[in-house]
Amino acid sequence: MEQIPALMRKNLVLLLTLAVMLAVFVAAASGMSQQDFVITLLRGLAVGALTFLVASGFSLIFGLLDVLNLAHGTLFMIGAYIGWTVYVRPDTFVDVLTPLTLIISGFTLRDVWILLARRVPPAGARSADLAAAWGRVAPWVAIVPGALIGFGVMRGYPIAFWSLENYAESPVTFSFLAGQGQRVIPAPATFGDASPLIAFAGLMLASMLTAFGITLLGRSDAHTTQVQVTWRSFVPFIGLVIGGLAVFAVNDPLTAWLFALDTNWLFLIAALVAVLSGMGLGALMEMTLIRPLYVRPIYQLMLTLGLSAIGIEMVRAIWGRPEFTMPKPALFAGSGEGCPAESLWLALQHGCSTMIFQGGRIRVYNEIIVPLVGLVVLIAVWLLLKRTRLGMVIRAGVQDREMVEALGINVRRVFTMVFALGVGLAALGGVLAAPSIGLSNTMGESFLLNALIALAIGGLTSYPGAAIGSLLVGMLQQFIIKYGQIGIVIPFTEVVFKPSPPLVPASTILLMVIILLILPNGLLGRKE
Amino acid sequence: MTPILELRDVHTFIGQYHILQGVSFAAPHGAITALLGRNGAGKTTTLKTIMGLTPPRAGEVRFEGRRIDGKRPFEIAALGIGFVPEHRAIFRDLTVEENLKIAERKKGDYARKQDMIFTLFPDLMRLIHLRGTNLSGGQQQMLAIARALVADNRLLLIDEPSEGLAPVVIEGLIGAIRQLAADSTVILVEQNFLVASQLAEHYVIIEEGRSVKSGRMPDLVNDKAAIHRYLGAA
Ligand SMILES: Nc1ncnc2c1ncn2[C@@H]1O[C@H](COP(=O)(O)OP(=O)(O)OP(=O)(O)O)[C@@H](O)[C@H]1O
Ligand SMILES: [Mg+2]
Repeated sequence: MEQIPALMRKNLVLLLTLAVMLAVFVAAASGMSQQDFVITLLRGLAVGALTFLVASGFSLIFGLLDVLNLAHGTLFMIGAYIGWTVYVRPDTFVDVLTPLTLIISGFTLRDVWILLARRVPPAGARSADLAAAWGRVAPWVAIVPGALIGFGVMRGYPIAFWSLENYAESPVTFSFLAGQGQRVIPAPATFGDASPLIAFAGLMLASMLTAFGITLLGRSDAHTTQVQVTWRSFVPFIGLVIGGLAVFAVNDPLTAWLFALDTNWLFLIAALVAVLSGMGLGALMEMTLIRPLYVRPIYQLMLTLGLSAIGIEMVRAIWGRPEFTMPKPALFAGSGEGCPAESLWLALQHGCSTMIFQGGRIRVYNEIIVPLVGLVVLIAVWLLLKRTRLGMVIRAGVQDREMVEALGINVRRVFTMVFALGVGLAALGGVLAAPSIGLSNTMGESFLLNALIALAIGGLTSYPGAAIGSLLVGMLQQFIIKYGQIGIVIPFTEVVFKPSPPLVPASTILLMVIILLILPNGLLGRKE
Repeated sequence: MTPILELRDVHTFIGQYHILQGVSFAAPHGAITALLGRNGAGKTTTLKTIMGLTPPRAGEVRFEGRRIDGKRPFEIAALGIGFVPEHRAIFRDLTVEENLKIAERKKGDYARKQDMIFTLFPDLMRLIHLRGTNLSGGQQQMLAIARALVADNRLLLIDEPSEGLAPVVIEGLIGAIRQLAADSTVILVEQNFLVASQLAEHYVIIEEGRSVKSGRMPDLVNDKAAIHRYLGAA
């Protein structure tokens, strides 16, 4: 019990800071009507929740891997676009599945490629120089034709797509119509006269060549790891190929089923696909691009910055530039009988988009569901960190990676998993944000900035710090926006001060500066 | 009988520094071998080289006859080598119990070894839910050794266990290391020659990155000239 006063003394500055913030918060609350206050509070929670989804993944990755992933905002955005595609254009999604699984398939045969790489004879081995030169060229002899074949096949591969030139077939139009409850079912793309079998074989060949080439690139690695090829080594490969072909076989019925599915389920599927793709993308990114640069942190920083720009350009090229919307799932989109509802329970029963709460009208999805999902993720990741072996390894690895590895744990694999997890969280944030704030190529940037500020406030590698920082950033922004509308009466004067919109980002940065001046490691950061 | 661990002319670089410039020795089964040498001689680097944490650029490291140089640290550890590093490297954010559990290589390792560990270090039992940050230096050292005992390790590499500990605590530690050496081979880095000579049956002296002398401990204890020359005042 005598620990409590000691703890208080140790964290005096922290407690004082929190007390001051609480006082400011109470003052801010008393300056507006209860209705306004409740709405602002909920909106702050919502922005905080989305910020948290970016910040938590970012901080997990930074804590364990020491990588500042500046592409995190872009990955958030990509999550939104992938979710949108599954939700609004399931036909495109189904069409993409088959070539995607075939392209991945070759990479699962890694053990086979490692064994083969050892057999690649050092070209006659007449001289060491020649062998070294061949060693450098050989990977590209496999990768370049592989990529060319893959590219050639994909150009002719039928994928139902939207048209960026033709307004009637643009993403904007499709989401608008879907929002009106009209699901336009576009004409399916077909192979026509071309033979699907040749396309499949081509994709698998391309995949295997590229995977083999990449294994050759990591040759030194290939010599030390022990591999055994048994029939089990082929199970994932065969599974993927069969899966991909099966999807192709049922392409039409599957598409029809997804189009007919009610939007609540479709939204869940879209979110799941976005998270899984985010995780896959994260794992791929870590294994191929980040891993070779662990010894060069500056290059890594430049790489993630570059990737973020490339990601934005790619999304622009594929989905087009204009901002578009993602219709809300039916459960949160209705405005018919019984709406706006008197309680959350009634709102969900009638599928209302809005409900009455404390005399004010609030949007169910934006202001209740988004914060709730944020809360669920907060608890889920916390449980993962505290209650599972993976979480234990992550917490230990944040402090001392070498020691974790020396205990017999493959830290590199944990790195990949954490990167995948972090990007998955960002993608979840993106798909969750899409129905409430819409999609745009730059939606990730503001959330990345928010997340960086939140982490600076809360403490860079502290998980509770990420949560508190995100919450503060969200609240502060929403309160400033609200006061921008109603104005602040400066005490003892008649002057009404209205913070203008540019003050919103500035205010959070100001908060960050103040907190960092008082507590250089953020609220909950550990002293370095 | 093949030695459990053998180094042959090992060279290790850290960055561009040539730290180990030819370390060779063999550690016999079931005994304690002490690595001796002045500060900065390369003892810690030798242990890290064995673990693969600073992989050797030339030479061979063999564990139970098999080459292990070039393998990754986690693969080397998984062969049955436990590492107790310099400065203990306890995980501060993990509880004592988690610090032990994380060392499991098979499910149930911890449950199986619990009794053995707490017989060896009875103090740890009541600290089980304390976080690593809150342990004293001696408790941390016990935990670091206990952590290396959770998995089935046939070889333990222990780096300066007595560093910064009070004499009474060192007494207890000597007893514990002697007990655990009954079941596994130990390679011990120890600055305190008195401690090293009480524990080890064999020794290797490292000087400026080279192994310069090795043999049986009793012979060294009687060789005042060698002690003076390689280890300074004894
Ligand atoms: N990261 C590093 N960069 C450069 N030099 C290093 C590095 N680590 C160790 N060294 C050097 O390598 C040499 C051997 O270091 P090592 O830690 O192995 O010595 P040691 O015998 O364990 O010494 P001590 O008894 O003080 O622990 C020292 O001269 C040290 O300065
Ligand atoms: Mg040392």
